[in-house]
Amino acid sequence: MMAAQMNGGAARMHDDDSDDEGLATTLVEAMQEDDGDYDDVADGTGVQVTGDDLQARLAAAATPLDFAAGLPARFTSYDNYCSLFHFILNSDGPVDLELPTVYWAWDVIDEFIYQFNSFCTYRQKAARTGENPEEIQVLRENPQAWGCYSVLNVLYSLIQRSQMNEQLAAIKANKDPNTVAGEYGQRPLYRMLGYFSIIGLLRVHCLLGDFTLALKTLDDIELNKKAVFAKVMAAHFTTYYYVGFSYMMLRRYADAIRTFSHILVYVSRTKGFQKNSQFDSITKENDRMYALIAICVALCPVRLDDTIHTTLREKYGEEFALMQRGGPEALPVFEKLFLQACPKFISPNPPDFENPENNVDPSEHHLKVFMQDVKNTISAPILKSYLKLYTTMDLNKLAKFVETDPEALRKQLIVYKQKNRQLRWTEGSLLDGEMTHTSDLDFALQDDIVHVSEAKVGRRLVDWYLRNLQRAY
Amino acid sequence: MTTQPIPAGSRPEHIDAYLSGLDRYNPETVSTFQDYVQLQCENQTYDAMSNLALLKLYQFNPHLTRDETITNILVKALLVFPSPDFSLCLHLLPPNVLDANTATDDLSAAVRKLCVLNELIESASYREFWTAYESDDLYADLVADCAGFEETMRDAIALQISMIAREVKKDFVQGSLNVNDDNLTPLLQRYGWTVEGDMIKIPINKENEAKTMVFRESVAFNQFQGVVRRGFEQAA
Repeated sequence: MMAAQMNGGAARMHDDDSDDEGLATTLVEAMQEDDGDYDDVADGTGVQVTGDDLQARLAAAATPLDFAAGLPARFTSYDNYCSLFHFILNSDGPVDLELPTVYWAWDVIDEFIYQFNSFCTYRQKAARTGENPEEIQVLRENPQAWGCYSVLNVLYSLIQRSQMNEQLAAIKANKDPNTVAGEYGQRPLYRMLGYFSIIGLLRVHCLLGDFTLALKTLDDIELNKKAVFAKVMAAHFTTYYYVGFSYMMLRRYADAIRTFSHILVYVSRTKGFQKNSQFDSITKENDRMYALIAICVALCPVRLDDTIHTTLREKYGEEFALMQRGGPEALPVFEKLFLQACPKFISPNPPDFENPENNVDPSEHHLKVFMQDVKNTISAPILKSYLKLYTTMDLNKLAKFVETDPEALRKQLIVYKQKNRQLRWTEGSLLDGEMTHTSDLDFALQDDIVHVSEAKVGRRLVDWYLRNLQRAY
Repeated sequence: MTTQPIPAGSRPEHIDAYLSGLDRYNPETVSTFQDYVQLQCENQTYDAMSNLALLKLYQFNPHLTRDETITNILVKALLVFPSPDFSLCLHLLPPNVLDANTATDDLSAAVRKLCVLNELIESASYREFWTAYESDDLYADLVADCAGFEETMRDAIALQISMIAREVKKDFVQGSLNVNDDNLTPLLQRYGWTVEGDMIKIPINKENEAKTMVFRESVAFNQFQGVVRRGFEQAA
């Protein structure tokens, strides 16, 4: 049974692969030809800085800012990005640049957003604690630094310059993207920056709490292993994290689980071959994704891939069991895992320096809203465990079992039924989906009688047949 | 995003143009989006994407915020429960809006008031929803702009009941829909529900049927690709 499912999955992934052949050959050629390693940049040995100031600036743009960097360093870094992007976007015609490394385009977008994110968090914290009046004064005087409008502007401009959405649409329609790429979009520099800016937008929208728009941003990108972002492990990983998270916030838990599972299985299978530093950086993120998948599965029990299930039990066994059991004791566990695994949410505007206490951490806000749904959903596992045992049952009897009164139980049943129906992606853009039942258990009320029904999966014979057929040769 | 996508062609063209381009970030479009919210309130339509775009504009430009538009958007979102729309709107509001200790302005108070209704409706506490709704005059003010709020809410609740029950006590329906005997009859007629004694019968639909199903395996031809190919290879 399990084998059959996994086989089916493999067959589907295979389909996906063939769809995207065009994308892989056209967009990533540049990356595949040059197989340099980004590790070298950090050492400063692998890049040819031929006295060219520009190359140095390009490398700098992709280099992580020191974690403890103070305000001046952050402002300088912002100015550097501004002038670099201005140069790339607004020079007379396309800039003729050789990319310092294969991963440069991803690293630069990644670092740009990371610094924006970290600046907003820093400013928020400064305003909240109010400890350092001089710093607050500087922050007040520079409200435009790392503004969300300018960050979005950079990302959108890079996408437009490279005609990236048009190119992706052309590829989807099996046409040559070069016909719509324009003089900028044909060059690897613009092409890669434009492409990764779309992933960047996904991330920024998610950080700002706009989960719908986050998913909408990826309308033109098909999520599969052959997509361009999959060539850069960190990009691959980031994309799935934010897509999965957005699905979770849209309460599409089944889709979130599918998204997280996909990347976690991929990581666990390729662990052996990934040796560059990119991989190290994502192991921490890996744990966060396991925490998120634990939350989703607790809210919407589905069968997980075996390897994921095992790892999940290793990493979060205790928490997972508590959440699955439901009830009020589970709530703090949900909160803890959510805060541990959520993106570092930001508020787009300068904080209220006058009233430090007004600057609530955005993560707290999103948590509060999310927990509302959790509170409604956590009675489901208990109900399910009882309903599974019966085909008909009296509501009053069930109420005694779960130690609640019949009217409260009726509400819980209505909610259970609602949660059981979820929009689930089948094809098209990420926001599309069909209404499906997530659980195999269904029921209806006839006054106080609960009629329970189950959707059973018939025997799967094809894989068995194919395997044995092969043996017959 | 929601379970109720807007019918094709019902979104005005200029709004559609804003939403698909960068004008969705342009503060100058705020008043157009606001008018559109007003229009949705008047003619009982709902466009989640457009409303979220307006909330995002407010998020970026707090000085443009108009309290009654925000509460109107939230009220509209209440009506499409159990879709997550209400939550999605909350995510775009200022982070301290739910914090009763610090956010003491009128808007935050109103948002928290609406959250109470949302919690009740999402936990299927329909009777309590109506009690809370009638307990405070502020609610009447908040939904005043939104034409047909109570009727739409009743229909939405009735839909949820019809999805779970085939037979249900009349008391429960009356409480859930907050109607008296006289007003119940026309509603039941419209829904096609029938009264038998103190019970109400709801016609069977896909959801309240709860039929045991067996999923058969679906077989695609390309699963046999290998077998077929091998057949040719061997022949050659």
